[in-house]
Amino acid sequence: MHAVSYTAQWMAAARALESERDDALYTDPLARDLAAPKGFELIERYEGGGLLPFISIRTKYLDESIEEALADGSIKQVVLIAAGMDTRAFRLDWAKDTTVYEVDHGPLIEEKRRRLDALGARPRTDRREVSADLTGQWLGDLEQAGFDPTRPTLWIAEALTFFLTEEQAAGLLRLLASASAPGSRLSFDILGRALLRSPFSKSFLDKLAADGTPWIFGTDEPEEFLTANGWKITDLTEPGEPNAGEGRWPYQVQPRSRRGANRLWLIRAESVTA
Amino acid sequence: MSSAVDTTGIEKVRDWILGRHPDRTELAFDVNIIESRLVDSLSFVELVYAIEDASGAEIDFDTIDVEDFQTLNTIQRAFFA
Repeated sequence: MHAVSYTAQWMAAARALESERDDALYTDPLARDLAAPKGFELIERYEGGGLLPFISIRTKYLDESIEEALADGSIKQVVLIAAGMDTRAFRLDWAKDTTVYEVDHGPLIEEKRRRLDALGARPRTDRREVSADLTGQWLGDLEQAGFDPTRPTLWIAEALTFFLTEEQAAGLLRLLASASAPGSRLSFDILGRALLRSPFSKSFLDKLAADGTPWIFGTDEPEEFLTANGWKITDLTEPGEPNAGEGRWPYQVQPRSRRGANRLWLIRAESVTA
Repeated sequence: MSSAVDTTGIEKVRDWILGRHPDRTELAFDVNIIESRLVDSLSFVELVYAIEDASGAEIDFDTIDVEDFQTLNTIQRAFFA
């Protein structure tokens, strides 16, 4: 499998561990079976630096982004970009008539389907798999699966932007904006730039690079980055804040003015209509 | 007199590290705080702020040398000498 697929197994392993806690932020009963064969090994390999609580807090934050965005009924289509081993279609409560598109590369989608079928998993809403090359022109594949760019969309891009270059991340945001009807929203995460440059992150970042999944893009100015690429931030949060894992995050939340702080941005945004 | 002040500075840093790890009661000056995971990639910035608070000096994140942060001894040499 592609190296990024192992990352998907790593995320699944993290969600399995979260689900088994007494104070779990969410429960993902399928995660343990989706984490094989490498997920738990990667948990150990990449151990430390707040990764596990971050993955859990991010998952919960995006769960709540979906709940919030779908609350008033205006958004009926949700696109999970690079969905990996995400099981939201199977574990969240979905408003009636919601369609969830899971976009990822073909081999991952096939392997995920094989495992979910073996588990007898049933999606809780209209779930559509979209095999696509996310580095290419994938909107056509999405539309073939039924996606309607004239209707408002919620885009979820979890654990994706740091695998991209800045140009690719900007291009992704502009591409999503181009397919977003008025009222569309986006929720995702961006790493801070300082985090990616810190000598104290180096051994971890070197391991990711050696494994073929280097973390590349980060910014300490997410507002400017989104504004420049067709989106306006409506919520900007960091782990440890009241709506993002307060009490579960083992580090101080640093004031925005603090130089050199390691940022892990959790973002909700709305598309800017010209 | 000045050496007494310097000792207080590094002790503040030691106490900050111990404060994060209630299971530990002491920390020798030659223990590698990174390899022993007493400080990790995210708490590192908090360590830098703790050193700044204790030393009164500003640390430039762009020129930071990871070797200065390996043990209390190296921190003392770099920031409290």
